[in-house]
Amino acid sequence: MAGSSKSYITCIRNTLEATLCLQIFPCQEVERHNKPEVETKSCPELLLKPVRTNLRLSFQVLICRNEAERCLIEASINSVRMSVKLKQADELENILTKKFLRFLTMRAEAFEVLRRKPVQGYDVSFLITSYHCEEMQKEKLIDFILQFMEDIDKEISELKLTLNMRGRLVATEFLKQFI
Amino acid sequence: MVAFAIRVADTGGGVTQWTREKAGVGGRRLQTVVAGDGGGGCCKRVKSFDFIIPFLYPPRYHPCHLTLGFFHGSAEKPVAVEHHLHEFGSLQYHIQSYASEPRHAYLSISTPLLSTGSSVLTGLPHHTIETVKRISRDVIEIIEPARSGYQLTLKLDFTKLPRKKKYAVKLITEISSVQAVVLSSQLREMLRNVNAQEISQGTYKPIKLVYHPREPFYVVKQPAKLTAVFPIRFKEESEVVIAKAFFQELVDVGSSGVCAKAPPCYWSPIPPPELRGETMEDLSTNGGFVSFEIFPRHVEGKKLDKTVWNLLNFNALVKYHVKCTKGFVQRRMRSRLESLVEALQHTNMEEDQPIKKVKGRRGVKRLLKFTRCTILIRRWNLTKKIKAIRSRIRIHGFSKFQRRWLRLPSFASIRSYQKLDKSSSFHSF
Repeated sequence: MAGSSKSYITCIRNTLEATLCLQIFPCQEVERHNKPEVETKSCPELLLKPVRTNLRLSFQVLICRNEAERCLIEASINSVRMSVKLKQADELENILTKKFLRFLTMRAEAFEVLRRKPVQGYDVSFLITSYHCEEMQKEKLIDFILQFMEDIDKEISELKLTLNMRGRLVATEFLKQFI
Repeated sequence: MVAFAIRVADTGGGVTQWTREKAGVGGRRLQTVVAGDGGGGCCKRVKSFDFIIPFLYPPRYHPCHLTLGFFHGSAEKPVAVEHHLHEFGSLQYHIQSYASEPRHAYLSISTPLLSTGSSVLTGLPHHTIETVKRISRDVIEIIEPARSGYQLTLKLDFTKLPRKKKYAVKLITEISSVQAVVLSSQLREMLRNVNAQEISQGTYKPIKLVYHPREPFYVVKQPAKLTAVFPIRFKEESEVVIAKAFFQELVDVGSSGVCAKAPPCYWSPIPPPELRGETMEDLSTNGGFVSFEIFPRHVEGKKLDKTVWNLLNFNALVKYHVKCTKGFVQRRMRSRLESLVEALQHTNMEEDQPIKKVKGRRGVKRLLKFTRCTILIRRWNLTKKIKAIRSRIRIHGFSKFQRRWLRLPSFASIRSYQKLDKSSSFHSF
């Protein structure tokens, strides 16, 4: 399991390294505007093809670890959008993931690159523009995103275990009163 | 237990003020009707508001306790006072005192009753009345029959309260907890008769107990055991999920060796067969049904009180656990947010090493600039010469001549200009 996680993370890292070659590029439709092309999708020629492309014409890279966990990377000339779907094995994990990611997206201004609303079908999305690449180091930005993914995964697993442990303790104390 | 306090203040004329300081779990409605005319007997509604008390509130903060304390404090004054207190929306207290009887107060209690098959319908059980009398035979006198609309009416004689404040408070606390005795009497009576073989085979009818109007539970008598079934309802989906995880643990712990002697516990998403025939409204839940099987060994001696207390407060316990768990998750998320933001701050460009190298380059440039200029200036000492060239030619006495004969209009600056005010220019023209 750890091996599959490592290869999944490595694959995302390599793809991000390849796609995060961004430059300042003004909007082609509105003068003196600079909009992320991956969001507006106004000009198809500005949406970049994946680096290790297959024969199909596609502007997106979809990396899947399994059916439940996947990552979508969409690139353009001045921005990259990355969406992640986290694993949710049961109801409790589902609720915890929803609560945690809602909590984070409500505070998206603290993260700069976090999108307030995830892309449909995914749990969390990042939008990295050329300005972010100017302000931050590319390598460290990729490190942060990958660490973010790992941390959330780890946090949800820990929370689930802790909740079950708390429930067990309360249940034990409650039933002990009958004895 | 959730900490909270209720402040009571006598604002004069027998008017009581209730102030909530901190909220806990579970809601209660308090309605206060106070008369403060000093013996006229005219009642006036003063205030009606909501406040919240946890399910395990300390008895000394109980509204009834506070009211009785107030009565005790004002026992010397001939004041007519009447209070109506509502708890959980269905439990009612009526506290009354007359100006003609300044040393007595009447406390009436009304509780929700069982639906069917209970002896409580005809009145309170004998042992409940005995328990109430045992609190203090001097202070408490049970009025029979009770006031209309109430199950129990007590006449309290404040002159016979202990002199020492500590003992008086203790006694008032016990009187204010009479409601708990009355409420639990129904279940206590049933549990006492667990072993009685009075029910014939196939006639087990569930009895609906309404301790809280929105959270009724069922008790089913069976041979040599009693089954308590709790329908669980929550407003939010997340609460249901947390509660389900708790029930799963409850069932696991109950079946494990640690609590082998505890009552067997079951959870099912559909109504258990014992509740067949009940109304759809009562059986529609989102959290399923939790059942406990109580055997005679669970109600032996002192265990009876604990069992009654645990069953009556099971719903409140579940809600409290869910609330605490949600708070715990929120705290964890907050702490994790801080660590993630810190990680992002490390990605900033300014903190990086290559930038420092660029700064070093600038330093070299400055050094080069410094050498060229300073060498020239130092070698030829041109500064004084340049100043002398740029300075005006001075003629002795010319300034006086200029002031007298050559008066020129003065300008602030050659390059700048003064903007004309439109309004002033209009006036001048």
